[in-house]
Amino acid sequence: MKPIRETLRETWHFYRQTLTLVTHGSKIYYAWCLSLLAIMVVGFLFYWKQHEMGLIETNMTDQVSWGLYIANFTYLVGMAAAAVLLVIPSYIYQFKPIKEIVVLGELFAASSIIMAILFVMVDLGRLDRVWHMIPFIGSMNFPTSLLAWDVIVLNGYLLLNLFIPIYLLVKFYYRREPNWKFILPFILLSIPWAVGIHTVTAFLYNGLAARPFWNASILAPRFLASAFCSGPAIIIIIFQIIRKVSSIHLEDKALFKIAELIAYAMFLNLFLLGAEIFKEYYSNTVHIASFKYLFEGLHHHNALVPWIWAAMAMNVTAFFLFLIPPTRKRLSTLNLGCLLIIVGVWIEKGPGFVIPGFVPDPLGEIHEYVPNLVELMVSFGIWATGFFIFTLLMKVALPIETGEFSHIEYEKGVITRKTLEATASLYKIKK
Amino acid sequence: MMHKWGMVIDLDRCSGCQACMAACHAENNIAIVGPEEAAKGRTIHWIELLPYIEGEFPHIKARLLPRPCMHCEHPACIKVCPVGATYANEEGIVGIIHSRCIGCRYCTTACPYTVRSFNWYEPRWPKEMKGSLNRDVSVRKKGVVEKCSFCHHRLLRAREKARAENRELLPDDYIPACVQACPSQAMYFGDLNDPFSKVSELSRERRAFKLLEDLGTEPKVIYLSEGM
Repeated sequence: MKPIRETLRETWHFYRQTLTLVTHGSKIYYAWCLSLLAIMVVGFLFYWKQHEMGLIETNMTDQVSWGLYIANFTYLVGMAAAAVLLVIPSYIYQFKPIKEIVVLGELFAASSIIMAILFVMVDLGRLDRVWHMIPFIGSMNFPTSLLAWDVIVLNGYLLLNLFIPIYLLVKFYYRREPNWKFILPFILLSIPWAVGIHTVTAFLYNGLAARPFWNASILAPRFLASAFCSGPAIIIIIFQIIRKVSSIHLEDKALFKIAELIAYAMFLNLFLLGAEIFKEYYSNTVHIASFKYLFEGLHHHNALVPWIWAAMAMNVTAFFLFLIPPTRKRLSTLNLGCLLIIVGVWIEKGPGFVIPGFVPDPLGEIHEYVPNLVELMVSFGIWATGFFIFTLLMKVALPIETGEFSHIEYEKGVITRKTLEATASLYKIKK
Repeated sequence: MMHKWGMVIDLDRCSGCQACMAACHAENNIAIVGPEEAAKGRTIHWIELLPYIEGEFPHIKARLLPRPCMHCEHPACIKVCPVGATYANEEGIVGIIHSRCIGCRYCTTACPYTVRSFNWYEPRWPKEMKGSLNRDVSVRKKGVVEKCSFCHHRLLRAREKARAENRELLPDDYIPACVQACPSQAMYFGDLNDPFSKVSELSRERRAFKLLEDLGTEPKVIYLSEGM
């Protein structure tokens, strides 16, 4: 009986503490969470309308059959991949604290994957049949369909990125050294898997002979290069927030090193894009049509032209900001560069990548696409959901990592001392 | 030998009257949609007349190209479907299992001939038309993709009839609605595996060509055109 009671008591302690942690915070924390919740509710209401009426509520057509949702999906897969790939430089350059960086990166990856999966779900015409894609239960067309591959690798990646941080956090919670022999293979596996999810997502587009804009073998490398820009850029910002709100100390040096790596990745990204542009414009075959639509407009259809040039300007500016040491090593210009990259890569790889694939269609018809309010609100809702999940995960994970929130055993001793400690740790977090 | 059903469309004979489209709509229970959504490109057509311009300016000619599903030998749509809702039967007809489709529109994206239509809305018909729906063809729900089936239900029916009459299937037994409706005799249908069938003969003609042939899809719809 005793062990069961102990376990129950411990579970109760964990849940109560978790609940206390997520419901207590500064005014900014409350404002942030409440506004995210508000956006989520609005997004859900718009989605409900779309679900009831059908995808007619969006601006997608048979000619442009994927729009803002799939654009966001593509971008977020990159985010998820890059967050984990950050583990490599953290090991090489011995960023401190490495354990925290691993846990943070993997939880960020998990949140991004949840967003990516949600974006696919809202794009489906029949959400009720999503189980058709589940292996063994449904009728998954594996290994022929790249979308089936994507379902497997994305969900596998999600599980991996939940399993590793949960394992580490549980160990931290019990104040035990993680069994590195056991968990390191999983961490190492998550690195090629990160490359894998983005490659599979690139192949999803790449394999379509009917869409010359996507049917370029340079696509997967381009995807990885751009992911290596946007993912670390958002991580730099998150690092700065985390060191402000918690006692985790992250050195500036690590941020600057990541920014330097972004500069290299951005160079590669721009180079690969340049290589594609050269090939298209020099050979000047009919396949150039989508590039023309994107960069200069095609037969007076030029909805994307200002966007892509804005993205180009942002990417190039950020590249120079991160390349030149003085601007890289100043937090204000560093953060500006990060913002430019997050937005610039989103345009380039989201709408700037998905939409031109459809314009003109393979038979040469031009149908333009601009997302409408429903698509925008649903997208905002999903982004808010992801940020909300990540915020809550961080709110619990950070105190565990710093040791402020741990197993009841370590708050044992005299009963009064335990209570005192618990209250003390609570106060610390409240601050 | 197995049949390989194919279609030949003689563009030199086609007058662009759209009788094929009308016949197809009635035959296959295709939902009717207002002009607003039609302008946005959310209509459903299993066969559609695509406008195109032939020749170089100033020697140009505006023409219309009837485009059903090509029922490719190597279809891009089947490969990409994540749930196996699109398949080709042993006679090469590419079909959709509507009850399995999840509406991801990957096939729409993969199809080089833009033959696939998505049910963006719940299909609707005017009250008066409800009784005139074709009972041989299932009504699709919102959220799934649909396309031309070469009027496969007509084949099933023709087979049954032939079996009941204890005879082989004759070439004229199975003809899709569009071919039947064409008033200019611009459309032919038959077995491409039979070297003496009308479609086989026409497919060997000098004027014969296929759409986007270099993609390696091997369409079973063959066009005839003299050019300008």
